[in-house]
Amino acid sequence: MMRIDLILRYVGLVMLFIAAFMLLSAVISLASGMDSSFYPLLLSALLTALLGAFPQIFVEKQSQLTGKEGFAVVVGSWLVACVVGMFPYLVWGGDFNLVNALFESVSGFTTTGATIIGDIEALPRGLLFWRFSTCWIGGMGVVMFALAILPAIGRSKMMLANVEMSTLAKENYRYRTQMIVQILSVVYVGITLLSTLLLKAAGMNWFDALCHAMSGVSTCGFSTKSLSLAFYNSPILEAVLIATMITAGVHFGLIYATVTGKRGNLFRSEVARVYLCVIAVASVLIAISLFAAELYPTFGQSFRHALFQVSSLITTTGFATADTNTWTSFAMLILVFVSLVCACSGSTTGGIKMDRLVLAYKMLKARMKQQRHPNAVIRIKLDGTIQESDMLHTVMVFIVAYLMLLLVGSLLGTLFGLDMTTAFTSAVACVGNVGPGFGEVGSMDNYAAMPVVMKYVDALLMLFGRLEIFGLIQLFFMKWWK
Amino acid sequence: MTGMRKRVTIAFMSIVCLLFISGMLSFVELNRLSRGAGDVLSASRRHVELAKEMLDAAHEQNVALIHLTVLGEKEYEKDCRRAMKRLEFALLTAQEEALDRSFLDSLSFATIEMKVLVDRYLANAAEAEIASVEIDTLAVQELPIDSLLRDTVLLQAAIAKAELPEVSDSERWYTEEYEAVYLRLTAAVKAYMTSTQSSLAPHAEKLKRNAYRAVTPVLISLLVMIAVLLMFYYFMTIYCVNPIVNMNRSLGDYLAFRVPFSVKSDCKDELLELKNKIDSLILQLRQNSK
Repeated sequence: MMRIDLILRYVGLVMLFIAAFMLLSAVISLASGMDSSFYPLLLSALLTALLGAFPQIFVEKQSQLTGKEGFAVVVGSWLVACVVGMFPYLVWGGDFNLVNALFESVSGFTTTGATIIGDIEALPRGLLFWRFSTCWIGGMGVVMFALAILPAIGRSKMMLANVEMSTLAKENYRYRTQMIVQILSVVYVGITLLSTLLLKAAGMNWFDALCHAMSGVSTCGFSTKSLSLAFYNSPILEAVLIATMITAGVHFGLIYATVTGKRGNLFRSEVARVYLCVIAVASVLIAISLFAAELYPTFGQSFRHALFQVSSLITTTGFATADTNTWTSFAMLILVFVSLVCACSGSTTGGIKMDRLVLAYKMLKARMKQQRHPNAVIRIKLDGTIQESDMLHTVMVFIVAYLMLLLVGSLLGTLFGLDMTTAFTSAVACVGNVGPGFGEVGSMDNYAAMPVVMKYVDALLMLFGRLEIFGLIQLFFMKWWK
Repeated sequence: MTGMRKRVTIAFMSIVCLLFISGMLSFVELNRLSRGAGDVLSASRRHVELAKEMLDAAHEQNVALIHLTVLGEKEYEKDCRRAMKRLEFALLTAQEEALDRSFLDSLSFATIEMKVLVDRYLANAAEAEIASVEIDTLAVQELPIDSLLRDTVLLQAAIAKAELPEVSDSERWYTEEYEAVYLRLTAAVKAYMTSTQSSLAPHAEKLKRNAYRAVTPVLISLLVMIAVLLMFYYFMTIYCVNPIVNMNRSLGDYLAFRVPFSVKSDCKDELLELKNKIDSLILQLRQNSK
């Protein structure tokens, strides 16, 4: 039997964490001359804190959570975070009606980075910071934060991690579960601080630098400018953000191992190698295509934009330096492909994940080998570890489910009046938590013009993508709750 | 958190705080909304008042000029100047209080045009022999208009000064020159008067939006309160009501059928103490009976 009171207590802790960030945004608003977002942020912080603190009054501290309870804490935290996250937007007003506020909140917490705001510069600083806070909190994972503040030890942590990260991600960890939280926190905060300093040194002001660093490390893609990175037109800033995005797309455990000089590091990881190769090859191919089509005067410029867009989409960030709608069809197709595959497990990225792609490729190769040698016993290895058949089965089921979800999203899009390009690429962008697609939701456009129903559908797709599809589906099985 | 009383008190106080916040929010937002609606209405009323004052002044000047030009009654010159000052003062007030300046530029232009024309006529009337007309450039300088408009007016005055024929026929001046300017001025005043009415629709639309915005924080706090109340009900049921019901039933079973008293309790509060005390009492009873 699920202990709902315990679930409420842990979800409440996450709410308190979110309320703290709302309060921080209100302080920033106050420091910016008490702009129009101060009162909405303060009120939202108060209400969220009350909502989070209430279960703490009644429910006793307990260290052990069952698998199901951990699962419910994760999904519940995401859903409640998305709901309370829209309070500041709703109270502030402007373009934020119910659906727009929900869309923006879900987009932030799922680190999708899709937006309905046309004029981002018109937002007050406090609200802008809250917008980036949602993606920063979401990037680490609401649950990871719950873990970091949970005094509970032992099994509960791993139970929560089961849902938050793909099962493949856990394989890469060579540490005790207690250490996972510390490693994630250190790596995440470390990259954010380093990126902020580099962006500041490259010419951004402190506020923009911090916001872009938060957005980059969480692979969200929100920007303080409507034109995204194209506003700055600075190769140095782009280089810093490319480095941030690519790093954030790697398994955080690998980054930690690489920095601390441990064995299972970035350079030994098969998946990381494939990930970096895909970025390089895709960038070169797109650059050649753009240069051949004479879209940019030099190959260097073509490569600069190609590398940035590939890094941005493969890591599901969504920053933009160019309007990719004007690029060649070949370049667009490669960008759609990288938006589908995305980066490594154990990072803040969404999508199918490179690990699954590598395994799917190996399974295909094994299948062909099996046809040639029907009696052969073929084992599939990843980084020298033999993969269980259960794991391989799960990978294939996930890929099929992912593609089916894309199909459903695209069908709904076309049903509600979107053209095929917009419908398909917006589904890819939302399920993969990428953000920009093509057509009406291109890199220089936004989701404001989408039909209201599609905004709800896209918000749901983002949640499905963030919770690796089955996390959310599981919630609807009533039998499972007993 | 231990102690049932402490828990219930804190929970109750949270709900009271939330209720208070909801109430205060409703009060503040409704006040703001009411102030907004009041501002729109008072602005409209003020527009009409100022427009009436301008029309009255223009009418007073018109009457004075008829006496001056048609009937040749020189004593009306003073009335004419006073009416002009009244008109200028009303314009100045309108400019100071204006929220929407879209109609004020044309009104300012028409007023200055009128002032220049009347000043010129009065100067002519005073020195009928002098062909050149002294235009009160100082007065134009003092007018509450922007520099571009002032330059335009001074330029027009200079042109008028250069081209001005000798005015001998006052009646002709009234019908051919003054009347046209007067009509332009009154038209501008009327446009200014109706401007509030025409801008009332967007204001009303804004108020409608504001009303929606005003209830949003209240709705959110009410939703949070409903969630808190549901949680309160749930926690009270599982931590207070259910243990008491279970203890009562178990104690009844023990007394009636000697079924061992067994109640599960998660909370370290008074209910756990009560359960432990019942346990010890039953144990004591057993020992005594032995």
